[in-house]
Amino acid sequence: MIKNYIKTAYRTLLKNKGFTVLNVLGLSLGLASCLLIIFYVVDELSYDRYNTKADRISRVNEDLKLGENNVLYAVCMPPLAQALKNDFPYVEDAVRLKNGGSRHVKKGGVNILENKTVFADPSLFNVFTLPMINGSPATALTEPNSVVLTETTAKKYFNSTNVIGKTLTFDDNIFYKVSGVIRDIPRQSHFDFDFFISMSTLPDSRSTEWLRSDYNTYVLFKNAGDHKKLEAALPAFLNKYSGEQMQAQLKMSMAAFEKGGSFFRLNLTPLTDIHLKSNRTGELGPNGTTQYVYIFSAIALFILLIACVNFMNLSTARSANRAREVGVRKVLGSLRKHLIAQFLIESILVAFAATVIALTAAIALLPAFNQLSGKDIIVNSQTMVWLIPALLLIVLVVGALAGSYPAFYLSAFQPIAVLKGKLSAGFKGSGLRSFLVVLQFSISIFLIVGTLVIYNQLNYIQTKNLGYNRNEVLIVQNTFELGNRANVFKKEIKQLPGVVNATMTGFLPTSNWKNTAIFFKDAAFDQKKALFPQTWEVDEDYIKTLDMKMAVGRSFSSQMLTDSSGIIINESAAKFLGLKDPLNKPLYRSNGGKQDISNSKEYHIIGVVKDFNFSSLRDVISPMVLVLANNPGALSVRVNTKNLPVVLSQIKDKWKGLTPNIQIDFSFMDQDFDASYRAEQRVGTIFIVFTALAIIIACLGLFGLAAYAAEQRTKEIGIRKILGASIAAIAGMLSFDFLKLVLIAILISLPVGWFLMNKWLQEFAYRVNIQWWVLVLAGFTSIFIALITIGFQSIKAALSNPVNSLRSE
Amino acid sequence: MIKITNLEKFYRTEEVETIALNKLSIEVKTGEFVAIMGPSGCGKSTLLNILGMLDDPDEGSYVFNGIEVAHFTERKRADLRKHNIGFVFQSFNLIDELTVFENVELPLIYTGVPSAERVKRVEEVLDKMQIMHRRNHYPQQLSGGQQQRVAIARAVVNKPKLILADEPTGNLDSSNGNDVMELLTDLNEQGTTIIMVTHSEHDARYSHRIIRLLDGQSVVENIMV
Ligand SMILES: Nc1ncnc2c1ncn2[C@@H]1O[C@H](COP(=O)(O)OP(=O)(O)O)[C@@H](O)[C@H]1O
Ligand SMILES: [Mg+2]
Repeated sequence: MIKNYIKTAYRTLLKNKGFTVLNVLGLSLGLASCLLIIFYVVDELSYDRYNTKADRISRVNEDLKLGENNVLYAVCMPPLAQALKNDFPYVEDAVRLKNGGSRHVKKGGVNILENKTVFADPSLFNVFTLPMINGSPATALTEPNSVVLTETTAKKYFNSTNVIGKTLTFDDNIFYKVSGVIRDIPRQSHFDFDFFISMSTLPDSRSTEWLRSDYNTYVLFKNAGDHKKLEAALPAFLNKYSGEQMQAQLKMSMAAFEKGGSFFRLNLTPLTDIHLKSNRTGELGPNGTTQYVYIFSAIALFILLIACVNFMNLSTARSANRAREVGVRKVLGSLRKHLIAQFLIESILVAFAATVIALTAAIALLPAFNQLSGKDIIVNSQTMVWLIPALLLIVLVVGALAGSYPAFYLSAFQPIAVLKGKLSAGFKGSGLRSFLVVLQFSISIFLIVGTLVIYNQLNYIQTKNLGYNRNEVLIVQNTFELGNRANVFKKEIKQLPGVVNATMTGFLPTSNWKNTAIFFKDAAFDQKKALFPQTWEVDEDYIKTLDMKMAVGRSFSSQMLTDSSGIIINESAAKFLGLKDPLNKPLYRSNGGKQDISNSKEYHIIGVVKDFNFSSLRDVISPMVLVLANNPGALSVRVNTKNLPVVLSQIKDKWKGLTPNIQIDFSFMDQDFDASYRAEQRVGTIFIVFTALAIIIACLGLFGLAAYAAEQRTKEIGIRKILGASIAAIAGMLSFDFLKLVLIAILISLPVGWFLMNKWLQEFAYRVNIQWWVLVLAGFTSIFIALITIGFQSIKAALSNPVNSLRSE
Repeated sequence: MIKITNLEKFYRTEEVETIALNKLSIEVKTGEFVAIMGPSGCGKSTLLNILGMLDDPDEGSYVFNGIEVAHFTERKRADLRKHNIGFVFQSFNLIDELTVFENVELPLIYTGVPSAERVKRVEEVLDKMQIMHRRNHYPQQLSGGQQQRVAIARAVVNKPKLILADEPTGNLDSSNGNDVMELLTDLNEQGTTIIMVTHSEHDARYSHRIIRLLDGQSVVENIMV
C-alpha cells in the first residue's frame, strides 16, 4: 500500500514539475537560510559552555555609584578572590585574571607585538577547562615569571609544543620561563589569550586594598545553586573588608556612604551569561549582545514561516485540481483514510526532499556565511546530534501541515458532487490562503522597513559629525617603546613636510584607553556633587591635531607654565557641574583616600571643548576632562594625503632610527573607528541578505499562486475576452486580487515596523528618526515586487486565446 | 453582411495536420437566420469562431459589413466584435462568481456604457427574457433553461447586429430548447442576423436556410420554406 502511495506521489509530483520545483525550491531556500541563522544563534548561546564546570562558575562584579555617577565594573578588588575562599566553605576555588595589555616578545632578533597577554592565578586550570598538553596544571602558574602558552603560540615561537623550561624575552629585558602549553582557547570563550603569565609576577597582585577594582575575579562553587547563597552574603562580606578601609581612609562608614546616595556593591554574573548579557567596564574582551540573538532568531523564524506558508499554499492550491482524482478513487472503493494517507505521504516526501537540499546548501554556504557574520562556525558530528532530530521534526510538522488541507478537506467530498463538477474549489473562496499571503507579505514588508532603518542608522554613524576629524590621521601605536626618546620622535615627525600636526597620547576617541578620576567642584568634597569624568592626559597639540572645537576658552599651550594645573572640560562636564561661566573656576581632583585639600590637586578650567564622541554612539557623551601630561601611549599624526606613502616611509624611517629592534605598529583613525562598528555593520549586512531571501521566497510562492489562480480562471478569462474585455483589463483584474492582499499587508506591517524599529533605535543615544519616505519606499517596493511577480502570470493568462480555453465543452 | 470566400483553417499538432475548413465560401445577408449542420468534427465550431473573430483564418477572405477582416489585428477584431456580435454557447459559459445581473452587465462594462444606462438596459433585457426575478441569483442556482436565457440576455444586451449560437439547445430538454428557439426567432424578427450551429433537424427548421458542412466543405444549402 505504502509503495502505491509513494509511486502515485512521485508521479503526481513529476507531472506538475513547475509546481514541484517551485515548492521544493522555496522550502529549501527558506530552510537553508533558517539553518544558517540557527547555527549563528546556537553559536552565540554556547559561549563558555566548553567549561565542564560552567554551571558552577560566576564572575564577581562591582557596581559603583558616586553621586550622580554610576559605573558597572567587570573587575573587583585585588584581595577579594582569596577572601572569598577563606570565608565561604562552599566556594571551592577562585581565580583572578588581569589583562596584561600589549607586550613585545622576542623571536630571533625581532620583537613581535603581542596583544593577548594576561596575568592569572594558579587556580586558573582548576576553574576553567583549559586542557594542558605539556606541564602540570596544578603548579604551572605558581612561580613568579612563568608563562603558559597556547599550542599555536608555542609553535609560533619554538616550532614545537615541547617547550617546558624554555625562556621567552618580554619587552627586551624581562625573562619568563615557559611552564606549560595548553590547547588553543576554544573559539566560544569570552576571553581569548595567548600568554598566561603567573599572577605572582605582578607585585600589585599582593595588594590588600579594598577600595579599588582591577582584577577580573571568577568563583567556582561546590554546587550549582551556591551562587544564590553567596549573593546574599556579599553585602556583609563587603562591609567587613571595604567598610573597614573606608572608615580608616575616608573617615566614613559604609552606612554613611550609602546614606549620601552613593553605593558600592558586589554581584555575580554566571559564566554562561557573560558573553551575551555583560557589557561592563573592564571586560576581558568584546562581548556579544542578546539583542542580536533575538533579532536573528526572529528573522529565522520569519523566514521559516514564510517558506512553510508557501509550501502549504502551493500544495493546497494544487490539490484543488485533484478533486476529480479523489472522486474517481472514491468511486473505485478507496477509503477516506487511504486518501488522507496518500496526501500526507506526498507532502511529507516533498518536505523531506526540501530539507535534504536545504541541509546540503547550508553546509555548502557556511564559509560564505562565516565571512558575512565574522564567525567561525563549523558543522561536525556534534552538531548533527541535535540537528538531525530537529530537521526530522520540521519535515514532519511542515509536511503534515501542508498536507493536512488536501488530506482532510478533499478526502471528505462526496464523489458524485466532485465528479459532476459542482466543486469548483474556487480560488477566491479560500480565506485561509489569502490570510497566509497577507501574513507572508506583512513579514516581508516589515523586514524591508527593518533593513532600511538599519541601513540609515549605519549611514548616520558613518557620516555623523563626531566633534573631531578622524580622516587623514595616522596613529603610531605604542610610542612608549621609545622611552624618553618619544618626545624626540614627535618633534621629528612634526617637522616632516606633509605632516600637518601631531599629538602624543594614548587617549584617543577611537582607542580603548579609558581612565576615570574623581573631581569635586569645591573644597567641601560633597559626595553627591562629585564628578566622575573620563580623565585624559593629553599634550598641547591634541585639540588642534584632532580638529576639535573649543566652545569657550583656549587649548593648552606650551608657553603657559601654569597649564600643568589647567584643565579643559567638555560641554557635558560643564553642564553636569552646573557652571554657567566655567572659565577659571577651580576643580579638585581627589587622590583617592582621604578627601581634603592637602590630599587633592587643584585645577582651574582654562577652556571648554565642544562635546565629541569617544565611546559608542549607543551612549550619551559623558563628562570628560583633559589634563596636560606627558602620555607616550601613541602618536597621532595629521597628514596631508597627497603624499601619504612618502610621509609614511619617512615616519617609519624615523622610528627605525630611534629603535631598530622594535617594529613600528600603526593604524588609521578612520579605520579604527569603522572597526568599532563592525558588529553593527555585520548585522546590517546579514539583515539585508536575509531580508532579500525572505522576499524572494515570498515571491516564489506568490508566483506559484498567481499561476494557479490564472489556471483556475482560464474559463472565466475566456468568457470575459469574448465579451470584449481588453488584455489590460484582464491582467489588471488578475493582478488586483493579489495586490489587494499586498495592500492589506502594507497596512498591517508598516505601523508594526515603525514601532519595533523605533524601539531598536532607542538603543542609540545618537540616532536617525524614521523618515516617512522609509515607510513609503517599503510599501512601494513590496507593491512593485508583487506586481512583477504576478504581472507576468496575469499577462500570460490574458494573452491566451479564449477559443482554446472554452474548447473543453 | 457576411461574405467568406475560399476560407481555409488548419490545425497543426506535432504529428498531424487537420484541415478544419477547406476552401469554404458562404454568404449571409443581413436579417437572415442561418443554421449550420454537419457531423461532429466537420468544422462547425471553427467556422463560427472565425465568423465571431475569435480566431483568424489561414487563407481566404472574410468580409464583415463590407470590411475585410481576415487579417485584422487582435485589437481591431476585439473592437469590432464587442460592438457587433453576441455569442451563445452550448454550455452557457456564465461566470460562476457573478450574479445573473452582473453576468448580463459585463458586455456593457467592456463597451464603456455608463452605470445608470447599464442598469436600465440589463433590466430591460432580463424582463424580456423573463428572468428578472432571478437577477440576484448565481448561475449554479438556475436550471439549464434559465442559464441559457441569461446567456442569451447577455448576448443581446449590447444590441448586436449578429448573434452566433453554437448548439444553443444542446444541453437542454426539448421544452426548454423550444423556448430558446422562440427567443432567437423573436430576435431575428426584430432584425438581428443569426447564425446557429445545431445537430437538431427540429431546431434547424426555425431557420431560413441550412448550410450543411462535410469535412470543412459546404455540401448543400437548403432553403427553408
Ligand atoms: N485547437 C485545435 N487544435 C487541433 N485541432 C483542432 C483544434 N480545434 C479543432 N480542431 C480540429 O478541427 C476539426 C474541426 O473541429 P470543430 O470545428 O470543433 O468541429 P465541430 O464543432 O464541427 O464538431 C476537428 O477535427 C478538430 O479535431
Ligand atoms: Mg463544435
